[in-house]
Amino acid sequence: MSGRRLGRALLGAAVIAAALLPLAFERTQPYYVQLAINVLIFATLALSWDLLARTGQLSLAHAAFYGLGAYTSVLLTTRAGVPIPLGIAAGGVVAAAVAVLLGFLTLRLRGIYFAIATLAFTETLRVITNQLPFTGRATGLIAPALLGGQRAAQYLLILGILVMLVVVSWWINRSRWHFAFIAIRTNEEVAAVMGVDVVRFKVLAFAISAFFAGVVGAYYAHVFLFISPLEVYSLAVSVGALVAPIFGGLYTTAGPLIGAVVLRAGEEVLRSTVGSGYPIIYGFLLAVVILYMPRGLAGLWAAATARLSRRRPMREVHAG
Amino acid sequence: MLTDRREPGIETFLQVVIFGVLRSGLYSLTSVGLALAVGVVGIVNFAHGEFLMLGAFLGYWLFVSYGLDPLVAIPIGAAVVFLLGAGVYRLGIQRVLRAPELNQMLLTFGISIFLQNLAIILWGGDPRVATVSYKANAVSLGALTVGVPQLVVFGLAMGLTLSLYGVLGGTRIGKAMRAVAQNRLGASLLGIEVDRIYLLAFGLSTALAGTAGMMITLQLSVSPFIGLLYTLKAFAIIVIAGLGNINGVIYASLVLGLSEAFVEFYVPQGGGWAEGVFFFLILLVLLVRPRGLFR
Amino acid sequence: MSLLALGSVTKAFGGLVAVSDLSLEVRPGEIFALIGPNGAGKSTTFNLISGLMAPDSGRIAFDGTDVTTAPPAQRAHLGIGRTFQVMQPFHDMTVMENVLVGELFGHTVPKSMAAARSDAAEICALVGLAHLADRPATALGLADLKRLEIARALATHPRLLLLDEVMAGLTPTEARQAVAAIREIRDRGTTVLLIDHVMSSVRDLAERVAVLNFGRKIAEGSFAEVAADPLVIEAYLGTEHTADREGDGSHGAH
Repeated sequence: MSGRRLGRALLGAAVIAAALLPLAFERTQPYYVQLAINVLIFATLALSWDLLARTGQLSLAHAAFYGLGAYTSVLLTTRAGVPIPLGIAAGGVVAAAVAVLLGFLTLRLRGIYFAIATLAFTETLRVITNQLPFTGRATGLIAPALLGGQRAAQYLLILGILVMLVVVSWWINRSRWHFAFIAIRTNEEVAAVMGVDVVRFKVLAFAISAFFAGVVGAYYAHVFLFISPLEVYSLAVSVGALVAPIFGGLYTTAGPLIGAVVLRAGEEVLRSTVGSGYPIIYGFLLAVVILYMPRGLAGLWAAATARLSRRRPMREVHAG
Repeated sequence: MLTDRREPGIETFLQVVIFGVLRSGLYSLTSVGLALAVGVVGIVNFAHGEFLMLGAFLGYWLFVSYGLDPLVAIPIGAAVVFLLGAGVYRLGIQRVLRAPELNQMLLTFGISIFLQNLAIILWGGDPRVATVSYKANAVSLGALTVGVPQLVVFGLAMGLTLSLYGVLGGTRIGKAMRAVAQNRLGASLLGIEVDRIYLLAFGLSTALAGTAGMMITLQLSVSPFIGLLYTLKAFAIIVIAGLGNINGVIYASLVLGLSEAFVEFYVPQGGGWAEGVFFFLILLVLLVRPRGLFR
Repeated sequence: MSLLALGSVTKAFGGLVAVSDLSLEVRPGEIFALIGPNGAGKSTTFNLISGLMAPDSGRIAFDGTDVTTAPPAQRAHLGIGRTFQVMQPFHDMTVMENVLVGELFGHTVPKSMAAARSDAAEICALVGLAHLADRPATALGLADLKRLEIARALATHPRLLLLDEVMAGLTPTEARQAVAAIREIRDRGTTVLLIDHVMSSVRDLAERVAVLNFGRKIAEGSFAEVAADPLVIEAYLGTEHTADREGDGSHGAH
């Protein structure tokens, strides 16, 4: 169907144009570039959280990996003279390594037990960071600026990181991993007796997910130039990472991104109109989405397009 | 507080024990409510601490506006929070009882965020203190001193927790709740109105949190942000007790209260480590003995 | 030479001994039935063989390889496939994709996606699900769900197939079809070990039968032999009419 193809090409062009649009405001409205950076940080967190969720592991440890990445990179760059890009990569690697450990420890925990354990892990890291002498304790650390503080270049970097993640996510949803992930999150035991190496896939998903959270945490540190335990190991980071996929549509590539963009844009509006207490909208949306649209925006979209074309609605959601 | 008087010896030790035990009273009351939601309704309520926070604001407001002692006002506060909890059950919780655990958790998460920010919008983020006349009073027993508010709150909280055990063990409605907790299907077959039991249990669960909140106004400042900490501590306690094990809650509260007091006093920089004690405990218990210590 | 050998296997849950000192040999190419009253330990035995649980003591060998502590996925690769008594399809997948999981992951040498898809389609056709292959798994009725259970197990190309109460709840006609299908599976070279409460099917299918009661093997032999055994008759007395319903789920896989 060439109409469909044309539509896809147009959509792709529009996405690329929108992604590059903030650069047009670099001189006139630098605030927009910073806002766009914020949106992409949020989107990277959301999509990387979703990768793990595809294996049925509902993590509240995303802030832990975000924070680990941030602290690793800041400490390496300020104490060991490591170049910032290497520091950011190291942040991702450390986060992934810790995720492998945590993944093995929490393998047997399901559902709510897993969520509580990952939350406890995050808070434990926060308390430890508060107490250690070389992490700046509760006061925090000042971080060196990435790419000489040029916002446009910084924006392109986070865009690049997000594109990498999108490719990974897209590949996973098209490969055999996709089926392993669904099988594991639906029923681990059935998956295992059908030959799926449950441990391997769960831990791999944890590592990849944490890698990107760590990278984006480190990136955040070098863009906003300051980190503290309360801020990076915050439940708000973990919750932000999970609200966007749930709102946009779980287990898809587009859902978490759309969710992140819509929520962050909405948040900006609310922050200026409602003032403090604006996160109330997150609570409200979370409740409404769970109660009335459990498949998120992507689900609504799939249902709408299915009604129009009646062509395999289930596949659209998965392929995302 | 205690850390100023660092001196070795049996008296110090006893003082730390007393401090830990007193603290466990409020912990018991808060967590027994959460255990009720988990055990009877089957909902792990992430908004539990927000109901405590609302109770605390209610206590503060009744004290400031009408001069009502928060302890005297407990029945009012408990009733109001009960109705609020029942409303939340009807509007939200009830609809996800059969939904995946993930959805239940996320819904209560949403409710928690909603209530916290509602409080910020209504009352602002500043901490408030209700200064009752006996706030600074203390009783001495030889070298040991105990604050009057702490003592009264401990007595009341433990009394309420124990009477809840009495209700669950001795009354028709309590037995029905336990029956539902043990076997949902069986209970509905026996003609117990499961939905009404759920409503009551969830309302009661939030009312217990609200009551604990009103007691907190006596000792500590009240702000919209206190909820999460108590939710998490209550989680720690019910995880230590074993999820859904109502009877183990008192022991688990003692474990937490005493561990915190000992870390605070005997570990260098103990204040900072103490705020992490419950997380270490959760992690430890979940990784080593996920079904809890007290079953 | 046996394909599957259990040597003095014991498994207890707290104080309850679900499987006690059980020894069992399944020969290549036979249809072997495991029967017994509810709670006799049959499902636990399946969990031990497929690797969802580890025995407290004893040995399990498959085709001469010790698999006592091998993880379930490894046993699937070696050739042990199973169905579940409570059917649990992957509900976010189509019927074909459910089968595809076994084709993709159930083999030591991974298949290409294209090969796995065409083999999965073949298996759907084999069990009579071809016309439903692209429907969501949630849309299936009971008999088709049972077919899907078998199809998923077959997709790992097992040498030993464990069938956990596939007859329960089927109409007499459907049960006859199932009996024929199981025979055909065996004739194509797969050894079958089955649990069932539907005695007519067990009698028609099984060449050898072992009877469990309270986790112990109390009899073994042909259907006629065990049916005449006084210990077996005693075990079944009083539980006879519950025996035709489903059960034995009390120590499920959790």
